[in-house]
Amino acid sequence: MSLLEFARGPALEWSLIIFCFGLLWRIIGAMFLLRKGDISKPRRNKPIRDGWTGIISRSAPAEAFEASIRFQHITGYAWHIALFVSVLFFAPHIEFFESVLGFSWPNLPNTAILFTAAVATGVLLALLIRRATHPVQRLISNADDYISIFVVLVPLITGIAAFAHIGARYETLLAVHLLSVELMFVWFPFGKLMHSAMTFPARWEAGTQFGRRGVKA
Amino acid sequence: MNTAMTRVQDFQSRLQPIGDDLVRIECTDEQRIQYAKKAFMHKIDGRKAVDLDSCLQCGMCAEACHFYEATKNEKYAPVYKFRLLRRFYRRELSPMRWLYKPFTKDITISELEEWGHLVFDACTGCGRCDMICPMGIKISTLIRVAREGVAAAGFMPADLRVIQKEQLENNTMFGVGAAELRQLVDKLRADGVDVPLDKDGADVMLLTSAPEIQAFPDTFAANARILNKSGVNWTIRSDCFEASNAGFINANDKTLDAQIKRVVDRATEQGIKTLLISECGHGYQIMRWEAANELGKELPFEVLSMPEFMVQELGEGRLALKQQANGASVTYHDPCRLARKGGVMDEPRAVLAAMGFDVRETPASRRENYCCGGGCGDYAIRGAAKLRQKAFAIKQREFDEAGADEVITGCVNCRFNLMVGAQNAGWETPVTSLVETVAANLAD
Repeated sequence: MSLLEFARGPALEWSLIIFCFGLLWRIIGAMFLLRKGDISKPRRNKPIRDGWTGIISRSAPAEAFEASIRFQHITGYAWHIALFVSVLFFAPHIEFFESVLGFSWPNLPNTAILFTAAVATGVLLALLIRRATHPVQRLISNADDYISIFVVLVPLITGIAAFAHIGARYETLLAVHLLSVELMFVWFPFGKLMHSAMTFPARWEAGTQFGRRGVKA
Repeated sequence: MNTAMTRVQDFQSRLQPIGDDLVRIECTDEQRIQYAKKAFMHKIDGRKAVDLDSCLQCGMCAEACHFYEATKNEKYAPVYKFRLLRRFYRRELSPMRWLYKPFTKDITISELEEWGHLVFDACTGCGRCDMICPMGIKISTLIRVAREGVAAAGFMPADLRVIQKEQLENNTMFGVGAAELRQLVDKLRADGVDVPLDKDGADVMLLTSAPEIQAFPDTFAANARILNKSGVNWTIRSDCFEASNAGFINANDKTLDAQIKRVVDRATEQGIKTLLISECGHGYQIMRWEAANELGKELPFEVLSMPEFMVQELGEGRLALKQQANGASVTYHDPCRLARKGGVMDEPRAVLAAMGFDVRETPASRRENYCCGGGCGDYAIRGAAKLRQKAFAIKQREFDEAGADEVITGCVNCRFNLMVGAQNAGWETPVTSLVETVAANLAD
């Protein structure tokens, strides 16, 4: 079995199995710890609306905070948009998704994807530098923070290298890229990449808890 | 120096003569750690687990904390203040604990001691950090649990432990009990203000607080005038008048629940319809939002803050105000526990507008308002005085930017802390009370 066959075969299967089971295990484990219902008389009893308000309102900081967190706000959006465009609109990625899902969608030109991948890589490096140098972030950071950046950064770099045929044979570069993505899948449920799944229940809770007191989350 | 400031300083002197020996806890370091862990274990439920699992460690919350902003001390970042709790969760409760435990440091005694400063002196539980978190994590709730663990380990400031002991054992705070209330009531009656003390069959029961009786008797008198003017059938009970709750301040459930139960039992026994909370921010939060959950049953009466009550009475025509402000400018300081923790933000402004005031907002107001710097008992911690004063500089800047003639607030603890901060800073804008302002503008 070649490295590429391994990456496309058992490595992909096992990484996805670990990803799915880990994800479910962690979400169920955290969300299903016992909790009591709030029996204080609500000022407003619109939990669905308040839950959605929480999810939407936390997508942008309140005006009073904007100036102090502008860097994180802008880089946060730049990073996520650039990443998702690179992952979802690159022609070879779409072919892969089609083989799994059975349908496809239009791709963006390769130069556009190269640009978004470069933006994502640059922003992530900037966030890494900030984490290592900003007094608060340096103090609070642990191995999880750095490993999570590493496992997301490597697929970007190997993806750009495979696209540009830099450093090795294309098959080898592709295999390394796939393996790096699989490493990310394996790490995902164990580290803070889980925030992508936890964002919604956490914001929903904030929305409903503040909402019942008559406060916008 | 005006009378109010003299009274504030007199009240401040009551906070001083506390002997640490009186409240020292004797136990081994191992026991302290176990007490802390037990408290953490007890309080982490599904909601907090989701919050603890969601933290990105982005550090944005630091930018919302007045103590971090005032000092740039990275340890004052709210995310750092609940670090011990997060580590405990990852080691002992997380669904991934089997993986995390070998890589996650256990809690140490020196950390618990250090966190005594971080979660008591350097956190007022104001919840401003809750409003900035992009994940919607209720950070102040997590810090409160951290506070509970640190307190259980015996590392709460002695000043607060004394207050808690006093309330639990004597039903007094800062030495203010039934006798002091009666003394004030007698004085007010002599001045022509009727106070229906211990009246049976009342519809409304008022809760006040020791700082109000001791430092701000005019606020207490203002409540009485407003209630009398509205014609409501009200009372205040000499054996159950305290809105402050040392258990809430100290994150001690035994004292918290005992005080809540005392109030709820008395109010239920009297068949009151409305429990009215005078200018005490945390007293309102506890009775309005926490009490039913703490007791595990719905309250058989409604709970209102004075601003809510006044808006209700104005709306129903039982209260009328003179529009004598003539556009004089005021800034309303939102007490954290009335505003973002309690939802009372429109009412005080409506009342001020009804008197003709030009209400000028600070750059950060309402749910984003900066804390006075002395909430959740911080104002009583001697060791935190310098830190509080640094945080006051933020309030001063905010008030100056609003540029109003006067600052008005709806919490005696906020007022006390702002007045002390202003006095120390030589800042001369008056800080007054909402109910006092209303009482001075009651129409015939």
